[in-house]
Amino acid sequence: MAVDITDPQFIKSLIDKEKLSQRSGVRWLLVPIIVVTLAYLTPFYYLFVTIFKTTPEYAQKGVLELPSSLAPFLDNVAQAWNIAHLGAAGFDSFTYALIGGAIAVAFAAAAAYGMTRLNLIGANGWFMLIFTGTLFPFQMYLVPLLFGYQRLGIINTWFGMLLVYVAICIPFPLLVLRNSFSGISKEIDEAARIEGASEWRVFTSMIVPNAIGPLIALFLLQFTFIWNDLLFSSILANGIEVRSIMVALQSLQGTYSTLGPNVVITATLISSVPTVVLFVILRKYFMAGLQLGTK
Amino acid sequence: MVNPASAMLSPEILKDARARERRVAWRQTRIAWLFIAPAVFMVSAFLLAPVVVNVILSFTKWQKFTGLDKFAGFSNYQRLFAVPYFSEALTNTAFWVVGAVVLPLAVGLALALLLRNIPFQETLKSLYFLPKVLAPTAVGAIWYYVYAPHGVINSIVSTVTGQKFDFGWIYDDNTVTPSVIVTFVWQTVGITMVLLLLGLAAIPRDPIEAARVDGASSGQIFRHIIWPLLLPTVLVVTILNVAAGFTTFDLLWVMAGDYPGKRTLSLAVYMYYESFSNGGWAYGSAVAVVLGAMVIAVSAGLAVLQSRVEKRIR
Repeated sequence: MAVDITDPQFIKSLIDKEKLSQRSGVRWLLVPIIVVTLAYLTPFYYLFVTIFKTTPEYAQKGVLELPSSLAPFLDNVAQAWNIAHLGAAGFDSFTYALIGGAIAVAFAAAAAYGMTRLNLIGANGWFMLIFTGTLFPFQMYLVPLLFGYQRLGIINTWFGMLLVYVAICIPFPLLVLRNSFSGISKEIDEAARIEGASEWRVFTSMIVPNAIGPLIALFLLQFTFIWNDLLFSSILANGIEVRSIMVALQSLQGTYSTLGPNVVITATLISSVPTVVLFVILRKYFMAGLQLGTK
Repeated sequence: MVNPASAMLSPEILKDARARERRVAWRQTRIAWLFIAPAVFMVSAFLLAPVVVNVILSFTKWQKFTGLDKFAGFSNYQRLFAVPYFSEALTNTAFWVVGAVVLPLAVGLALALLLRNIPFQETLKSLYFLPKVLAPTAVGAIWYYVYAPHGVINSIVSTVTGQKFDFGWIYDDNTVTPSVIVTFVWQTVGITMVLLLLGLAAIPRDPIEAARVDGASSGQIFRHIIWPLLLPTVLVVTILNVAAGFTTFDLLWVMAGDYPGKRTLSLAVYMYYESFSNGGWAYGSAVAVVLGAMVIAVSAGLAVLQSRVEKRIR
């Protein structure tokens, strides 16, 4: 097919055709996107109509019907809060997530510093040792941890729970931070050392500030993981004084529960507030953390 | 480093310098030990030691509180293959792994391709990502009522068909596993989609434009250009989802807590049930060892495949 590609008319017709096909393509795409998104949002819609219903109202009305008033919400919150002791459980989980996540990332950062910035003999071996901690499914830790915790007498204690969370949240951040720290120029710590700075000083005032983005992203991921954990806390700390928010939430739900779905659904909303708020405020870091996980 | 002065140094001074260098290296190593010690201790004590103990326990005959004194050889493993629960759990786990890999990829890829060129892309991306931030326990509690007899699905079906419909999706042997897998997909498709969008964004536009000018159809462009370049991302997502498929616990435990045969729902649930509801710790350890061996073998295979694919592309 012989076409004069320098002919402006021909080029213009090509551009028009391209634009037209793109525009009609986008319009055609909108239909499936809207359908899928609506189906996808249905559980959220269900959540928002349910938290405003009373238990009798829930039983009588269709589950997707709108509530008759917004007032029952406060009563649902009060019931969920009091019956599941969400305040105490939420405080426990918040401290586990905040302190555990921070200590784990700090330990991982220190180890990454030792492995990448100091001439550690056998650095790769040490790294592999810790990295092994990401290979096994959590199910392999449970029975020995329970057994060990009973022996040590730290079962059902706040401190014992914190220890597990710290240990579990070290290997992945170490993997990521080892990469980030290797990317920082060696000259800046050499310069600081010549000035007489101690290794601790170099670590805290040269390396950490240079990797603050990944550190925040990793902390958010670990915070979310600990806050959302059910498996470990259901086994190692299910006593009412130290149980996590997810154990409390789970205790509300199921056949043996006498509570209405409106109360349980309200409890799920309450237990999701911290991570959702963090996600909304720090979305940038969450998305960055996500990409860290695939490199 | 080339130092002009070094030409004038005698061998003795050089030897001294090297010895000093070695001393510095050892000094740094000793300081480095302090830096890595907390991480090494925590991981060894709370993760690696338990794995070793788990393997040992799986060879003992051991009931709660009586100690690990009796060596029992492979009897726990023999029991695994003798009971029907284990093979049912294994079958369901296989089902889970396939479902957790194929469905998020298929739906996530379709969504990624759909969302690629439209307005509000960022908002929709965040919206689809949101369930991943929620706890599986919370998601499971919501979906428990979505599937309940007086629940969302049945309500929609009733409205559409005009007949009363109150099927118990998570009480029925045939629908319980697919129902929970659908919930899993609902929760994870957003992260899969975001990762695929990142992969798509990294594909250069020139070969696609060139192929289009040459008259290639969209299907051909996808098959011959987009898919091969997207394959490394697809494999990363596969590795993440395979592990999730093998080990998903919270969703199953929360959603299917009422299902009579719940111990057979997956190996992760079976392990938990046998260890903590039945108190058979040694037997539960054997289940965990089998599960761990499978996860590691499959993940290692996929990791090798992924590194080969990446090498081929570069």
